[in-house]
Amino acid sequence: MTLSTRTLSSDENRVKPLAFLQRYGREIGLPIIVLLMVIVFSINSAVFLSLPNFRNIGVSAAALAAVSFGQTFAILTAGLDLSVGAIVALVSIVGALVMREHGVVAGLAASLATGVAVGLVNGLVITRFKVFPFIATLAMMSIVSGLALSLSGGVAVTGVPEAFSSLAYARTLGVPIPVVIAVAVLAACIVVLRYTKLGRRIYAVGGNEEAARLSGIPIGAVKIAAYVLSGVCAAVGSLILTARVASGQPSLGVTLPLESVAAVVLGGVSLFGGRGSVVGVAFGVLFISILSNGLNLLNVPSYTQMMVIGGALILAVSLDQIFIGTKAGKGN
Amino acid sequence: MPLVGPASATSVPAKDGIPLVTLNNLVKDFPGVRALRGVSLDLRRGEVHALVGENGAGKSTLIRILSGDVKPDSGSIKIEGQPTVFERPRDARQHGIVTIFQELMIVPDLSVAENIFLGNEPGPALLYSRAKAARKAAEVLAGLGVGSRIDPSERAGNLSTAQRQLIEIARALVLRAPVIVMDEPTAALSENEAAALRRLIVRMRAEGTCFLYVSHRLDEVMEIADRMTVLRGGERVATKDASKIKSTSELIGLMVGRPMAELFPLRNEKIGEVVFSVSGLTRHGVFTDINFDARAGEVVGFAGLVGAGRTEVMRAIFGADRPDGGEIRKDGVVITIRHPCDAIARGIAYLPEDRKDQGLVLTMSGAENVVMASLDECCVAGFVSKSAIRKTARAIADRLQFKGQLDAPAGVASGGNQQKLVIGKSILTGAKVLIFDEPTRGIDVGAKAEIYRLIHRLASEGAAVIIVSSELPELMGICHRIYAMSGGRIRDELSLAEFDEKRILEGAFAAHMAPQASPRAVGAL
Repeated sequence: MTLSTRTLSSDENRVKPLAFLQRYGREIGLPIIVLLMVIVFSINSAVFLSLPNFRNIGVSAAALAAVSFGQTFAILTAGLDLSVGAIVALVSIVGALVMREHGVVAGLAASLATGVAVGLVNGLVITRFKVFPFIATLAMMSIVSGLALSLSGGVAVTGVPEAFSSLAYARTLGVPIPVVIAVAVLAACIVVLRYTKLGRRIYAVGGNEEAARLSGIPIGAVKIAAYVLSGVCAAVGSLILTARVASGQPSLGVTLPLESVAAVVLGGVSLFGGRGSVVGVAFGVLFISILSNGLNLLNVPSYTQMMVIGGALILAVSLDQIFIGTKAGKGN
Repeated sequence: MPLVGPASATSVPAKDGIPLVTLNNLVKDFPGVRALRGVSLDLRRGEVHALVGENGAGKSTLIRILSGDVKPDSGSIKIEGQPTVFERPRDARQHGIVTIFQELMIVPDLSVAENIFLGNEPGPALLYSRAKAARKAAEVLAGLGVGSRIDPSERAGNLSTAQRQLIEIARALVLRAPVIVMDEPTAALSENEAAALRRLIVRMRAEGTCFLYVSHRLDEVMEIADRMTVLRGGERVATKDASKIKSTSELIGLMVGRPMAELFPLRNEKIGEVVFSVSGLTRHGVFTDINFDARAGEVVGFAGLVGAGRTEVMRAIFGADRPDGGEIRKDGVVITIRHPCDAIARGIAYLPEDRKDQGLVLTMSGAENVVMASLDECCVAGFVSKSAIRKTARAIADRLQFKGQLDAPAGVASGGNQQKLVIGKSILTGAKVLIFDEPTRGIDVGAKAEIYRLIHRLASEGAAVIIVSSELPELMGICHRIYAMSGGRIRDELSLAEFDEKRILEGAFAAHMAPQASPRAVGAL
């Protein structure tokens, strides 16, 4: 006979502070830090806590937000999209060229289509040719930037319609349009990730690809969809930036691949896939934007700011590992 | 052509005689091994078809072919008489064959309900309906008799192994598949849960579902199966009606192809001095005042229920967890162990229950695994030498009668051979105190006998062996002494002459019995 009756050990039911932190630390940790930052900057800078400055933060955060929300899809599948910056540049050029010739609506359509197309190629290269996402999107970054530069001849595309570029500084109900767009993208991403089959499958593929495959989930299609969504979001981010500079710029968005990955990781999304939320990423974006805005107001040189942001990233991820990652990963 | 449940059987009466699934002459080669050598099998509506055989007999390969995970090199699959090719797992599911794998396939960060409906999410069109998934999941879990214990909205990663197994089973049930393949579904379940599963299988069989049931628990197979197919070395030995097989020993005879050799070898008789002892070892809330000793050449067993604290004691001795008090002596000298490397340096080895997670690097070769902890001995002029590794590993492998390939990744070796690699790694470090945690879990009968012989060889060479096992016959068959643990305390100690199943069980249940009812409670088990 086999002695295998399971008995509940009494300490399983006890609530521990550490367990609480492990369970909810990821969700509440970053918002608290962002709040603390707001308080510290408000005390140290007379200008920080004002409506114009908040609008300023919102406008400058909007493009990074859209791109980071897209990056979230790629990272949730245990992948990565390094081509987002190049997509921003290409979309800026394509959008500006088409808008100049055929009007704003056609330009918007062409921009989004460009994002879809690059995302589709990313996805196909990763799933069909079995190239690791890091390498695939690194290569695509080079290809797509090259395309943007050759389309534009290496110079800015001017002549973007006023109707489009003025949107960057327009407001509805006092909220800048770029912020409205970023929030709309956020809402759309929440719906896709939480309330569609595709969203749940993105988590499944990232969390346990083998289980997903054996459950009959078409994992190739799910990954392609994730990169297409990333491409579309990058296109939206590009439109926001293009409107702000009122021209198509072939060098737009060079820092976005790293900034978006930083925002996603700060926001608590696991680089191993399958874990994290787009709301967390929104706080990751706020963290980066508020930090750099606050440091600007305190007259910290921009080179120092880069060092501070890099240090903050290491700190955030290591805290995550110490308090949550290892312990919860091995938990019962 | 997809199976569409009982309706198609009534509308096409001519098909009644045709099996749901026919596998014909399947052959599958893997690098270095021919896993299947022409196996044929048919599955009929409303039967439980057991598939038995030793590890390496080809059961897993057969299951992987049926689930669409691998394609056979030759042979055919017919679904209701129609030749079919499965290109990917999705194809098998669409043809009504759902497989519950032994390696638990859950996505840790999705909820229980989402895991149950993985790839089969409820909701209109593209949308996913959380409420509907939760409701239907709760229904299915209630049907499994665990509705009160598993919350559909719980994160699946927080579940116990047994609960994860139930999620897998629930996943097959919601698909209402006509053919369900189960690979060792009860290995992680308690007796109550296993019984609930068997009742469910019987109920679904009456409704026409066909089960291909793979299990090492032969008593369970005898109880539930209508027909049995025995595989050995990639070939089919026999397919028989269950009523024609009289005993598990007859079944074992078919599996091993020879009369069952004496499972337990003779005990080593050269018992030496006490080389290892523990006194007053305590870890608050986990175990209390643990005192025991082991002599050179002795095999000492720890009996108890899962959760009695046996593994926790061994982990503390090995330095994986920190005890709150107590002494550990090796060769009479008090030693301090803060970390597993202290234990290894003192000649104490712990062979964990979970070989795949804690004992082996599955992607590295068998040889590299064996020498992993003693690379110093395989170095030439300070550099690791491949030929030295091979030589050292070969010597150990021969000593342990390792029958797999040393050059192949450890992940492809059978359970018995993996256990030998872990043992080889430990004896190469010069361990003289060997602690085995469930050394034969998931290992088939033939390989078990070999592991037992190996344990005795190690003892006769002067090692002190400590064995934690939940299988009482195993402990009574190989140990010189047995300690019974319950509720984090040692309750009883039995010398060889005193071995008695009832007395050990009393010790194992000591913490769970009301004092006056004790004899009856044990009897009821």
